[in-house]
Amino acid sequence: MIKLTQIKKSFGRNEVLKGIDLTVKKGEVVAILGPSGSGKTTLLRCINYLEKPSDGQITIDEFTVNYKRPDKKDIHTLRQKSAMVFQQYNLFKHKTALENVMEGLLIVKKLPKEKAREMSVELLDKVGLGNKLDAYPSELSGGQQQRVGIARALALNPEVILFDEPTSALDPELVGEVLGVIRKIAKEGITMIIVTHEMSFAQDVANHVVFMDGGVIVEEGKPSEIFNNPKEERTKQFFKRITPDGVYSI
Amino acid sequence: MGEPFDISYVFEYLVKLLPTLKITLLIVVSSIVIGLGVGFIVALPQLYKIPILRRFSQVYLSFFRGTPILIQLFLFYYGLPEILKLVNLDVAKVPALYFVILTYALHSGAYMAEMIRAAVGAVDRGQVEAAYSVGMNGFQAFTRIVLPQAMAIAIPVFANLVIANLKDTSLAFSLGIMEMTGKSQTLAVMSRHFVETYISLAIIYFVISFGLEKLFHLLERKLLKHERRITTEVKEQQVKLGKTKRSLLGFGYSRGGRENEA
Repeated sequence: MIKLTQIKKSFGRNEVLKGIDLTVKKGEVVAILGPSGSGKTTLLRCINYLEKPSDGQITIDEFTVNYKRPDKKDIHTLRQKSAMVFQQYNLFKHKTALENVMEGLLIVKKLPKEKAREMSVELLDKVGLGNKLDAYPSELSGGQQQRVGIARALALNPEVILFDEPTSALDPELVGEVLGVIRKIAKEGITMIIVTHEMSFAQDVANHVVFMDGGVIVEEGKPSEIFNNPKEERTKQFFKRITPDGVYSI
Repeated sequence: MGEPFDISYVFEYLVKLLPTLKITLLIVVSSIVIGLGVGFIVALPQLYKIPILRRFSQVYLSFFRGTPILIQLFLFYYGLPEILKLVNLDVAKVPALYFVILTYALHSGAYMAEMIRAAVGAVDRGQVEAAYSVGMNGFQAFTRIVLPQAMAIAIPVFANLVIANLKDTSLAFSLGIMEMTGKSQTLAVMSRHFVETYISLAIIYFVISFGLEKLFHLLERKLLKHERRITTEVKEQQVKLGKTKRSLLGFGYSRGGRENEA
């Protein structure tokens, strides 16, 4: 279980997160939706401390970190309990697909090389890249790179995988293959928090949908409730804009 | 002025100059090695934006990049002992060669620092975040992810710096060091075959620079193997052309400036 309590973050005078409370149950897939600048990505990055929150507390699986004064060890543990899939893939460019996945296992988990290799091959197979083990990121398409990114996150066997707009940088044609992989691992019961603009995907995959705007959670609940029957005016407005019944209103 | 030109002297002097090559190379190698260390130390406050140290390294950089190497040699050789005398340290017996190496090391350190800063900055921040997100600490992220890529990026600049350093060592003769240029001065004055001596001298410098250029080029290709494969053959040709252009610039750089000051 992951529990976020009163997460706050300011960039200078601009308060981006105004006290977020969120609970994610084990095995749950949470989709965070909202307009640009609503703080979705910042929230996600605060969870594994890539962004330094100004205040708040997080509990992952009985392990609690107070963001006000975390020590280095806390941050390290936090990062080991989570993994992230980035919008820009962020693969290690000087390493092959296989080495990208193995890196964390060898350096952080300190597994023997043979074992790490075996696990990594298996994972790359799972994301459909069993034939691209020795390809460098520059030789892979965006969709393939992102799938390596997902395998790299899976390898660490984290409590939660954080997806930061995993398909936003992809060609429309390649979005499907990445969403397919995410859908597949969602079924395995891995806890996931996904920031996305793919509404139908969120509706389909998520067990829980969070709608954010202006640094606060406006509304959260089951996908069916949020998508079909939102209570808050702001949420209604947002979904009306992006699903205008076949017509784009300008 | 001198004796009439005689090509046979060129070969004779080549042989006579070669033994002093080891002094030149000693200066180059030791000053580059020390310079790399210095460069790292100077670049760190800039990379990590450490408040006060950053100022210091900026002053260091402006001094060594803003004054001619010849003046720096004089300042260190004649000035440093005077300052050390004030704290009762007598360095009069220390051979001039050490002062020369120190000056060249600090001088190239400034350029190395800029090279390191630029190369590390060129590795995209996202990969560091990815390294953190898989649980690496800062040191692991730097040595495993940033450094290998930064090194590949820095190679062309590093090659230029080494070659520039090699040619700059020709100024060490002004402090009486018997490296190649120093030796050639003596040969020229004694035999009065000035042109022949300088031709042999130029040949040695050129051959070594050229060899280094090729060597670094190979090294760069090896380190950039992760980027090479995407380029089609046409693109690869363009890359090659780009490289030669860069190396020509490298040769031109010293010719235009510092050596003329001697």
